[in-house]
Amino acid sequence: MRPTSWLQREWAGAAASVLALTLVTGAIYLFREAVPVLSLGVLYLFAVLPVAALWGRVYAVLVAVASMLAFNFFFLPPKHTLRLEDTENWFALAVYLVTGIVVSELAARARHRAAEAEQREREEALLAELSIALLQGEQLTAGLDRIAEAAARVLGVERARLELTDEAAPALGEKVLALDVGARRVGTLLMPAGSEPDPSISSRFLPALASLLAVAIDREELEREALAAERLRLSDSVKTAILRAVSHDLRSPLTAIRVAAESLASSALRLSDADRRRQLDTVREESRRLDRLVANLLDISRLQTGAARPRRELVGVDELVGQALTELAGDDPSVKIELPPDIPFVEVDAVQVERVLINLIENALRFSPVDENVIVRVTTSPIEAIVSVDDRGPGIEERDLERIFEPFERVTDGDERRGTGLGLAIARGFAEANGGRIWAESRPGRGSTFMLAFPVAPAPVRGET
Amino acid sequence: MTGQRVLVVDDEPHILRALETTLRGAGYDVDTATTGESALTQAAVHPPDAVILDLVLPGKSGADVCRELRHWTQAPVLILSAVGEEREKVAALDAGADDYVTKPFGVDELLARLRASLRRATTSGEPVIQIGDLRIDLEKRAVFRNGELLQLTPHEFALLRLFALNESKLLTHQTILREVWGAAYQQESHYLHVYVSQLRRKIEPDPSRPSHLLTEPGAGYRFVA
Repeated sequence: MRPTSWLQREWAGAAASVLALTLVTGAIYLFREAVPVLSLGVLYLFAVLPVAALWGRVYAVLVAVASMLAFNFFFLPPKHTLRLEDTENWFALAVYLVTGIVVSELAARARHRAAEAEQREREEALLAELSIALLQGEQLTAGLDRIAEAAARVLGVERARLELTDEAAPALGEKVLALDVGARRVGTLLMPAGSEPDPSISSRFLPALASLLAVAIDREELEREALAAERLRLSDSVKTAILRAVSHDLRSPLTAIRVAAESLASSALRLSDADRRRQLDTVREESRRLDRLVANLLDISRLQTGAARPRRELVGVDELVGQALTELAGDDPSVKIELPPDIPFVEVDAVQVERVLINLIENALRFSPVDENVIVRVTTSPIEAIVSVDDRGPGIEERDLERIFEPFERVTDGDERRGTGLGLAIARGFAEANGGRIWAESRPGRGSTFMLAFPVAPAPVRGET
Repeated sequence: MTGQRVLVVDDEPHILRALETTLRGAGYDVDTATTGESALTQAAVHPPDAVILDLVLPGKSGADVCRELRHWTQAPVLILSAVGEEREKVAALDAGADDYVTKPFGVDELLARLRASLRRATTSGEPVIQIGDLRIDLEKRAVFRNGELLQLTPHEFALLRLFALNESKLLTHQTILREVWGAAYQQESHYLHVYVSQLRRKIEPDPSRPSHLLTEPGAGYRFVA
């Protein structure tokens, strides 16, 4: 406790004692005509009791003694002296005095017990608060100051700080309390020089605090390990998926290219001009597909490391769709485009959004039966421009509608032919990086629709007509 | 023009197109299919002389297609597989496929394998087979190397006979065990390894570097001249 507050407390005690004594003396003075004066001496207990309860036994005894002296001086004959005429008055005074002292002792004890109960309550409250916070997974390091502050309150010192290293560096003269669980040093509680925490409180409170901290530290350690293990597992599965992508998905276009190219070079084969053109088309288209696969692998790693910052510019949605189609298939007749009369403009990184559209359309083509069309439709609402890509493929189960946007997820596990499982993850990554959103709707057995939405940007000012 | 009919099954349209064009250029009549189901229908409508079958297909797998084809046709089946599909490849070979090539394969390799498969399918059973320096008399159950009679146990002979009748064809462990020892022994690969090494000591000029009885890692054995 700080010296100033201690002094204030003592002064308050003295003042209260004097006040109580004066009040009771005044009261007796008022009643002295109506009631036999000797019996009024008992009223001094009303001065002793509150002083004993609030300021302890020293003040109470002083007040008891002073009361008897005042009673004698003011009210017992001969008045205004400390002498007494009657022996019975001596007896009465002695009884009052003993009663006063006994009562004050009882009151002081009750007060002490109350204070102790309050203290324990504070300790328990802190420990409970701590365990709740730690059980709820609060970060220990973030809460250190709060714990130290509460511990200071419990120990009755001005302030404290808590360090979790076993080699705390105390400032000059700082008081150091170790927090140990068995032989293990959990942390150290440091408080300003001259602090005198109550040893009985320390011996009770500090081990409990130490055990709680130990549990919390262990829990955090386990959590960290679990997190590290999870990260390792994830990066491992990413590597596995990339290996699989390289081994399978890159081999398909490579196979087509090699067969087509070698057939063109072979003198043993007899190819018509139309056949030669077909083989050349295969080489050209599959090279581009290979290039897109490699770009996808690069994109996903950029997205995962956060290196894909969009360079946004104002662009018409029709242009985005057109570019994507040119890049994808030239003039694939099975892709139909439907545009609204008023072309919406959006503010996006054109290259990235084209990649989103390419992945969506390529997916749709892959899943659609050969003789069915893929429909790319642009619609607008007052706030959004929406591009939907419609296929007549097998559709997607409701439960898979979100999962398919995760990297390396395919519609069915182990379905090797459905590409790397990167296209949709990249599509979502780029869409969101550009302020858009992407989602899928499906009617299993009848096809799927992938929707890409961006906020509409104000159209550029057109020339007067 | 060979005029033989080849059914090509692959779910990658570009591979399918490139193969179709190439095989047509090599003189075959070509049918194509993109799924296992359509392949079986196609095969029933136009029975093929050989099938080139991708291992991983939507719906029915290559091994399933192979098994169903074998119910009614002995047309050779050539599997297209990729690295990482070894298990499926062995399953298809066990189901009756004749050989495989690994993507990305060369045109020459594919055509050579296809020709070999078709040739095997058309050779009729001869009582005496001459392979390199070995002469195998199936009726008299006698084997000569450079004219010298070799002493073979009945199982060794049965093994050599199976290899000789399937020259240059890949035989899986399971197929060999089933043919030589019976269906109950299909999983007992160690029998096979022991007998193959015994047989190599008798028929190979240098048993540690076999030139006839070749190991196909992870798949089986192949007997070549």
